[in-house]
Amino acid sequence: MTLTAEDVIRRNHVNVFGRGTKPMIFAHGFGCDQHMWRFITPAFEKDYRIVLFDYVGAGSSDLTAYDPTRYASLDGYVDDLLEICRALDLRDAIVVGHSVSSIVAVLAAKREPARFSRLILIGPSPRYVNDPPEYVGGFERSDIDELLSTMERNYIGWANYLAPQIMKNPERPELAAELTESFCSTDPEIASRFARATFLADNRADLQGVRVPSLILQCADDLIAPNEVGEYMHRNLTDSTLRLMKATGHCPHMSHPEETIRLIREYLRDQNASTARE
Amino acid sequence: MTRTPAQLESERGAGPIAERWDLAPCGLVSVRDDGIIVAANLTLAAMTENVGEELAGQSIETLLTIPSRIFYQTHVFPMVKLHGRADELYMTLRTRSGTPIPVLVNAVRRELESGAEVDLAILRIREREKYELELIRAKKAVEAASAAKSRFLSMMSHDLRTPLGAISGYAELIEYGVRGPVTEEQIADLVRIKRASRSLLGMLDDLLTVAREQDAQLPLRLEPLSIQTELTEAEATVLPRYVDARVRLVLEACSPELLVRADRDRLQRILLNLLTNAAKFTPNGGKVSVGCAVVANRAAIHVADTGRGIPPEMLERVFQPFVQVESDDAGKEHGMGLGLAIGRELARAMGGDLSVESAVGRGSIFTLTLPTAAASG
Repeated sequence: MTLTAEDVIRRNHVNVFGRGTKPMIFAHGFGCDQHMWRFITPAFEKDYRIVLFDYVGAGSSDLTAYDPTRYASLDGYVDDLLEICRALDLRDAIVVGHSVSSIVAVLAAKREPARFSRLILIGPSPRYVNDPPEYVGGFERSDIDELLSTMERNYIGWANYLAPQIMKNPERPELAAELTESFCSTDPEIASRFARATFLADNRADLQGVRVPSLILQCADDLIAPNEVGEYMHRNLTDSTLRLMKATGHCPHMSHPEETIRLIREYLRDQNASTARE
Repeated sequence: MTRTPAQLESERGAGPIAERWDLAPCGLVSVRDDGIIVAANLTLAAMTENVGEELAGQSIETLLTIPSRIFYQTHVFPMVKLHGRADELYMTLRTRSGTPIPVLVNAVRRELESGAEVDLAILRIREREKYELELIRAKKAVEAASAAKSRFLSMMSHDLRTPLGAISGYAELIEYGVRGPVTEEQIADLVRIKRASRSLLGMLDDLLTVAREQDAQLPLRLEPLSIQTELTEAEATVLPRYVDARVRLVLEACSPELLVRADRDRLQRILLNLLTNAAKFTPNGGKVSVGCAVVANRAAIHVADTGRGIPPEMLERVFQPFVQVESDDAGKEHGMGLGLAIGRELARAMGGDLSVESAVGRGSIFTLTLPTAAASG
């Protein structure tokens, strides 16, 4: 089935705004949707054409487009990103990816390098589960299993109550909105699959041969992507810049938007300067 | 400084707000956006085997198990940051010695001049946790069993249709004399065979409907329908039963202008079931009256019988599949207890409902409500 540009834009709830011409596309991480960028995008609206979207299964995307096979691995999410780039005919876009979306951005840049000029990777990790002795991802497999069970326990309350209501009341979109409001993600099955695709992936080998330059933003005390992982990314990604942030936690774009904006700006400015010199 | 239980007890009187905060029967903690604890009460400290003062300045993450830390970062923090609050979150704390404690958490974000803070109330759910897990397990088992049952029902009803078709087909061949001369008595038997197989076929259709309704919703064709017309049609179909059962069927006049928005086949199915049931559960010489009314933008069709009524404990159960009120009238035929279950499902699917009022010894009134439709529709 071929999707038209309009289909993709509707499917992924794509929002385009900003007064610049250079495209800057923001890819949200696991557990949330495009709303998470709202503290960052105002700073770039003046100079860039901002593109926001929800992966299928998240936020206000078209849930009927969810195909468990396609989204069983990160490749399905890479397809989403590339299809949006094609629908909007983006070239040389700056892609800002949070967490799992950093890896999605890396994979997309390998497949279609001409689409992207820079990758901004916030809290990236190519593999979350430890692989002793040479690799520390930060987690044991049992941690991920327990995370899935914690998610299930939290999703089950509203899934039992609200999900059937939405199925029966398609004319009442506020019910779906309520659900999205409460969890940024609308279906426990989808969330659980996304968690598996994210936390059980091993994309270490994919870091080789990426031709698009990248900025790695590494938070202090980030449990999900610890310092060692940021350094691993930096060592293995050609033409990457690693910046250690004062921001702690895993969502600096939400907890420390000013520092995040400043580091992205500095990187883009330095890159432009070096490109101009070349 | 930690206090002894005795000290805590003596302070439990009319202390200042600060002490109430400390001794509240739930863990209370305020954190900044970066997760650093600004203040924590003694209950939380005791729960996690910490000393109260030591918690300030630490990250909230140090109080959580690793999976709950991921959940906090990927779900709780974004949710509270974007929406200002989050309720009834299930998480697991970790004591200093590493013991996991299941808790429920409510969180509210406050914008302060010094920066935003998130207040979390943390309630231990040790016992609740156990049966909640059991409930989830049981629920999954029931869902799996119900899906298996639906598959079985739909397969079985399909498979039974073929031999049933053969039975009535061959009975017809014999009845028409294709196999040779037939006596009057044989014809009467053949008619009974055909009637019985039709009744079986009806039950199979019901089974198939239940199985399907549980699998997926069938599309409805909603159109404006005259209640009067639909009732008259249903009456014509069930009248022979009423004659057989010696029960009087009284159709009170409904305004011909009264239109409902419904799917014609589904509405007929509900009406036929209500009327057939009423005939079935009303003794010889009894009466079934059908009337209608309009309340707000809903039309109501009442089917009232003079049967023996339904005991209070059965009132809701009669709408569950495979449940029937026991009838002591052994001579009457029985279905599978699917009609009312299907009827309510269908009525609700069309935006209405099917309910019952009844008292033992005084009969039952079944009420079907449906949205009214504009006459111009």
